[in-house]
Amino acid sequence: MTIGQAIATVFGGFLFPFMIRMAWGKMVEEWGPIGGWMCAAFIVGTVWAINHGLQNPMITQSGGVWIDMAVAAGVGVYVASVARGGKVKGSLINLGAALVGGVLGGLLLSFFL
Amino acid sequence: MKFLRSTLGYMIAGMVVMTVWDGFVGPYGIVGGFFAAFIIIGPMWFMNHYVGLIDNPDEFAFVDMAVGIGITGIFRDIFMKGMGEFVASVPTLLLVILGAVIGGLVAAAIEKDMEKKHQPADDEPGPGYNNKK
Repeated sequence: MTIGQAIATVFGGFLFPFMIRMAWGKMVEEWGPIGGWMCAAFIVGTVWAINHGLQNPMITQSGGVWIDMAVAAGVGVYVASVARGGKVKGSLINLGAALVGGVLGGLLLSFFL
Repeated sequence: MKFLRSTLGYMIAGMVVMTVWDGFVGPYGIVGGFFAAFIIIGPMWFMNHYVGLIDNPDEFAFVDMAVGIGITGIFRDIFMKGMGEFVASVPTLLLVILGAVIGGLVAAAIEKDMEKKHQPADDEPGPGYNNKK
């Protein structure tokens, strides 16, 4: 990975949670659940195109284990939520559930892929 | 029960994203990926965060289903390719996390700034206002 690719990877990680945090809540507020579907297509879909979809994507994968931009969304949205006063202690149960769910899901996928 | 509910939500989202998405990108390329975002993230978000399969009360920091998706992707490849490949991927992981932390902090700062603007203007005339007339 070159220095340039590393800088681009950082910005790819910046972009996704930033856009989610800026637009998702507002779109749901304005349009209800349809807003969430619009965000799924036009935030996740569009940002996916730049971060993963292009032939030379913004997030450079340095190894064989796939680092999805979802990692960025999870970390960034969590940090923003904590910065706006979300309590860390109460969120630990969900963090634990995400870890258990992720490991179990990955294990199940490795059985048939 | 709450733990089980949330675990199921993260697990299902992670499993579907880490299989079906690639399935669409393979034959249809970038259009397939865009379509996958719509048909996967749409219903998964609706089930997990709109209906509330993942229980995330407002006062607690928000753990997005993306956390589950990201971890599923990492562990799928660790189980299939081994820890050696994971070590090679750590640079990308750290850079992405660094960008995400900056993104989250900047977004929170901008939100605070936007809220400032929405405060109603002072409609009381200031001191000395009536004397000028």
